Amino acid sequence: MSEFQQVATLDEIPSGGRKSLVFDDRAVLLFRIGDDFYAVEDVCSHDGQPLTDGKLAGTSIECPRHGARFDVRTGRPLCMPAVEPIATFEVRVEGNNILLGAL
Amino acid sequence: MPSTLSSPVGRTVKTPGFTSAQFDAFVATRNESGWITDRRRAAFEIYQQKLAEPLNPEEYKRVDLRTFQPGRFAPSVVAAGPVQFETLLEKSAEFGGGVTHIDGHAVASRLDEKLTRQGVLFGSLSDLLRDHRQALEPHLMARAVLPEADRISAWHAAFWTGGTVLYVPRNVAVEAPLYSLIGLSAADVADFSHTLVILEEGASATLLEETGSTTTENSGLHVGAVELLVGQGANLRYVQLQNWNQHVWHLAHQAGRVARDGSLQWTVGGIGARLAHIHQEVSLDGRGASGEVNGVTFATDRQLLSYYTQQTHKAPDTRSDLLYKDVLRDQARVVWRGMIRVDPDAQKTDGYQRNDSLLLSPDCRADAIPGLEIEADDVRCTHGATAGRVDAEQIFYCMCRGLSRFEAMHMIVEGFFHGVYDRIAVDAVRETLSAAVKRKLGIDR
Repeated sequence: MSEFQQVATLDEIPSGGRKSLVFDDRAVLLFRIGDDFYAVEDVCSHDGQPLTDGKLAGTSIECPRHGARFDVRTGRPLCMPAVEPIATFEVRVEGNNILLGAL
Repeated sequence: MPSTLSSPVGRTVKTPGFTSAQFDAFVATRNESGWITDRRRAAFEIYQQKLAEPLNPEEYKRVDLRTFQPGRFAPSVVAAGPVQFETLLEKSAEFGGGVTHIDGHAVASRLDEKLTRQGVLFGSLSDLLRDHRQALEPHLMARAVLPEADRISAWHAAFWTGGTVLYVPRNVAVEAPLYSLIGLSAADVADFSHTLVILEEGASATLLEETGSTTTENSGLHVGAVELLVGQGANLRYVQLQNWNQHVWHLAHQAGRVARDGSLQWTVGGIGARLAHIHQEVSLDGRGASGEVNGVTFATDRQLLSYYTQQTHKAPDTRSDLLYKDVLRDQARVVWRGMIRVDPDAQKTDGYQRNDSLLLSPDCRADAIPGLEIEADDVRCTHGATAGRVDAEQIFYCMCRGLSRFEAMHMIVEGFFHGVYDRIAVDAVRETLSAAVKRKLGIDR
């Protein structure tokens, strides 16, 4: 899927907030960090389960079960037990709309 | 089934679907006897209670239902017109009879006259419940799959739309296999088909079932149940080949019960579906009962195929043997969680379970979780699981013999599945499974 799709509006997500959504038939977690937006697949690469309520510190999301951390900008794993990256999505802001596209 | 996304902001609201109003409207279209409607109402109440409770995390935590929107789907009220339904099973053997369902409605049914004279009942569940209530009522969702078991079984018990019944009287042997086809045709149809097989003492039969879609793009939902009741000394071979297109959601509760000296050979093929989760239970109730479970699973793209299997030994001298073989490609996931349970008085039990996964790509993932729960002290119970990539040396060997890498890979997949094919005595089943795998591999278009 190469097209961008509107998934949220700016005023919906405060800074430091997040939104769970379904995009391209996948569960996605959209973050707002300051005025930047990042989107990752909402599945930990270690145990295959959701990251939804994981703690966000700076640009890293922590898996609520085993403590794996990922950089939300790149999907890169930052510590054990994760060794594989998680998928990321391209985010575009147009006016008040936030759009998502597959990378 | 609404899944909860517990994000603090911007929670995505899901359409739960299957509301009371929809249930009432559905029942009004059914034109059924009071006792069936009463049972549906009771089951719908259980379903609503279960909706408020979380699903069993042991069983469901690896089954990602977050993108599942049950509200998109609804049972089809009208029977589909004549549809071209291409099936692998039907043309592969001589059958003694067959039943075809499309979008939850029986469209064709036949049984060899000789078998009818012997008292065999075979046909659509709705019809047979009307004409043979006495024979079927005590068995339907009362012994194997109970509505109160979980959310899926309650959902199914409230909304079952059709399905296949096979009843074989005492000491009747049905030699030729029978088939049952469950098809989805129109877009966004929910199919709640039910399979009920009852073999009385000393009876034997073979039933082959295939589920499939008439289109490659229409999404659908299957919330099914399978009940296999094998009487004393009876012998049942049952096969279910799940061959939907890759946009169908498949949720099923399936259970078999085997009485004294009976035997059940149960083969599951998992080829299609966007997401499939099967709860499969084999209960060995009588001394000397045996159950063999075979699984062939081939997942590609973003498919998630999940199995939760239980082999329960309730009596002494019982034997169970489970073998699941999975092949995964692309970003597919296969989950198998298996349990052998041995009750305190099931001494001299012989239980085995094994799951082998062959990973064809770096991004696929197989989770195999075998388990034993043994309360007797004189048993033999073993289990094992393997997961691995295709051996580079095997590929190299095949390529030296003139095969391309692609052909070599597929030959190895075929060989991997042969371990299961060899256990299945029915040619039609072996051929059908092998054809389904070849078609999916893309070498038999």
